[in-house]
Amino acid sequence: MAASVFWYLREFARFEWVQKFLFAKTAPLMTPAHFRGFPEPTGKPCMHALYCMMVCPAPGAIEVIHREDGWVPRIQKGHCIRCGLCVEACPNGVLTSGRVLETVGEQMTSLVFSFRIAIDRDRCMGCGNCCTACPVNKIADAQMGSGGHSSNDDVIMRVQGGDVQVLHEEKCTGCKTCEQSCPNDAIRIARILEATQQPVPVPAELTEDGQ
Amino acid sequence: MKRTVDVNIPLGPIHPCFKEPARLKCETRGERVIGAEVELGYMKKGIERIMKGRPWQEVMFLAERVCGICSVIHNMVFIEAIEKISGIEVPPRAALLRVIANELDRMQSHMLANFSYCYTIEHETLAMYLLDIREQVMDELERLTGARVTCAYIVPGGVRCDIRNEDRDTLSASLDRIEHDLHRYAKMFETGPMIALRSKGIGILTEESALQAHVVGPTARASGIAVDMRTNHPTYRKLNFAPVVRHGCDNYARVMVRFDELSASIGLIRQSLRALSPGVIRGGGICKAGTLRYSGEAPRGELTYSITTDEYGRVAEIQIQTPSIMNIEACCHYMIIGVDSIADVTSAFVSADPCIACTER
Amino acid sequence: MTLLQRIKDLVRSRSIHVSYVDVGSCNGCDIEILACLAPRYDIEQYGIYVHNNPREADVLLVVGAFTLGWEEKLKMVWDKIPEPKAAIAIGNCPISGGVFDRRGSYVDPPVSKHIPIAAEVPGCPPRPTEILSAILSIRDTVFAGWEVKQR
Repeated sequence: MAASVFWYLREFARFEWVQKFLFAKTAPLMTPAHFRGFPEPTGKPCMHALYCMMVCPAPGAIEVIHREDGWVPRIQKGHCIRCGLCVEACPNGVLTSGRVLETVGEQMTSLVFSFRIAIDRDRCMGCGNCCTACPVNKIADAQMGSGGHSSNDDVIMRVQGGDVQVLHEEKCTGCKTCEQSCPNDAIRIARILEATQQPVPVPAELTEDGQ
Repeated sequence: MKRTVDVNIPLGPIHPCFKEPARLKCETRGERVIGAEVELGYMKKGIERIMKGRPWQEVMFLAERVCGICSVIHNMVFIEAIEKISGIEVPPRAALLRVIANELDRMQSHMLANFSYCYTIEHETLAMYLLDIREQVMDELERLTGARVTCAYIVPGGVRCDIRNEDRDTLSASLDRIEHDLHRYAKMFETGPMIALRSKGIGILTEESALQAHVVGPTARASGIAVDMRTNHPTYRKLNFAPVVRHGCDNYARVMVRFDELSASIGLIRQSLRALSPGVIRGGGICKAGTLRYSGEAPRGELTYSITTDEYGRVAEIQIQTPSIMNIEACCHYMIIGVDSIADVTSAFVSADPCIACTER
Repeated sequence: MTLLQRIKDLVRSRSIHVSYVDVGSCNGCDIEILACLAPRYDIEQYGIYVHNNPREADVLLVVGAFTLGWEEKLKMVWDKIPEPKAAIAIGNCPISGGVFDRRGSYVDPPVSKHIPIAAEVPGCPPRPTEILSAILSIRDTVFAGWEVKQR
């Protein structure tokens, strides 16, 4: 027991401890600049690419709404998990959060989307709802009827022989309107994300130094 | 046969010593605990169910939120399993950055576990010291990844962002400071007379019972079983790494194993920083179909993800095996049987570092 | 307002006992609440004492996405807290369910369906400073003039 008391006395008699006890103050509780907070607008115009909404992992966290002067992304606090993926995925740098936008610019990192259309042949009834709902089809063939038939070869998909045929998968923008209009859950859009980086040029002195 | 039991003492689900809801029913005779039963089920969220049919960019965040304390390793094991399935190569710089993030996360988790233990045995001085240096580790993690707890740092083919040169210097300086303090605190724990009274010879888990209970992680390594999944990891193999093993089998050994692993983690981070060579941090690559069972070493032990993906890289089937379930079982069936007082039940339970959130998911 | 009432208000706002209940979180918010105890944030310098006993608490911190296992139990915990009391929802999960609010999960957010919530701290997880400022922001208003309100 005496050893214990002595041990504590020695612990508190250290110079560092006495100094801290007398002079320490609570550190200013600042949020550091590199903390990834809620995304804030940078002021650049939103071009309505909607990649932020597609990449967002939290339900209902971000939506792009229309104001008088154009499209604006809006963050829902209480849903947003501050992951910073929307900042990274945005092609125009509309949002910023911590150092994410800065590092994306410096290190040339990017998130590249590609979209694939998967149709379950056993479930598809050939109703053509997906073809008529698709906003890309609307531009390619404005005359497309309610059956989803089209003689235009520029459409993404059309009903041919009682089944939906995909013609131009690369034109898909990943909006998933077709998924919502499908009565039978037969069509699914896969949003495939790839994290890439253009190679950083290695400084000349490092390559020569025996790497 | 009918057994006579003096009092059946329930601990939890809300208990000052438990950070999470778990109910521990102790059958006692006098003050001696003769049997215990754990009751879980307050935290079941069905994460594996909602992971199905989602691409990696959504499952990654759900996997992080299986356990908030060891979120980096959940992220890392899931992403590495996906990479193995799809054949995505990781650039060497990104692999080392993953090790740095993972070891920083392990350090803060071990410091938190040791804090909880010291707090439970009412040694608040040491507990607060540990929490103070944990904040420094959290600062470094935040500077590297951008967030304190759920970092979302590891993506298929690499990591989110590179470490800056000035951050490298801050990290090494901060590691020196942390190591200096940590050495002193480990010494305090090792030689503290009151700590020894509450820790040595309490919560015994012998090597045979440890093997029977399938314990993993620091709990197993404190019972003399040299099991560490990091020895199988390709990046860790290039670094000089050996698992920390102690043969004390008691609370004291378990906490000391964590202190030793903290020093080992600091060594690993230093080696990784030295080995960092310039280059890309993301290789790119698209996820493909396949099935794989992949394990990694979480701060609490072996963590296994068993994943099946479809042709578009979405998760079709997933099963997660987390380390805490074995440790909790071992705790209830071996460690707290025969302890001399109810006060030692909580300290033995906390020394195994149970994480209810990842047990139930 | 009488002098006695003023003294009571002052004392109440400077001595707050906090209890927290985890209704199915991922532990991320738990450890951020624990980090508030750290000497850097030092929650006790404001007279806030964190422990886990609802019967002594004034403020209940609710963490987690309300799993079905807590259906009746959270109300029981809330009823055990003596008046005056307040509940704060920490993190996204008690506010909206966060990432767990998907079809097929066993959660039932928000928590405000079950107990009255006085303040919400968004973030996944929120920083310790945000948790601290939320507790400090309600302490002057929720407990002020409680005896007067009772009459």
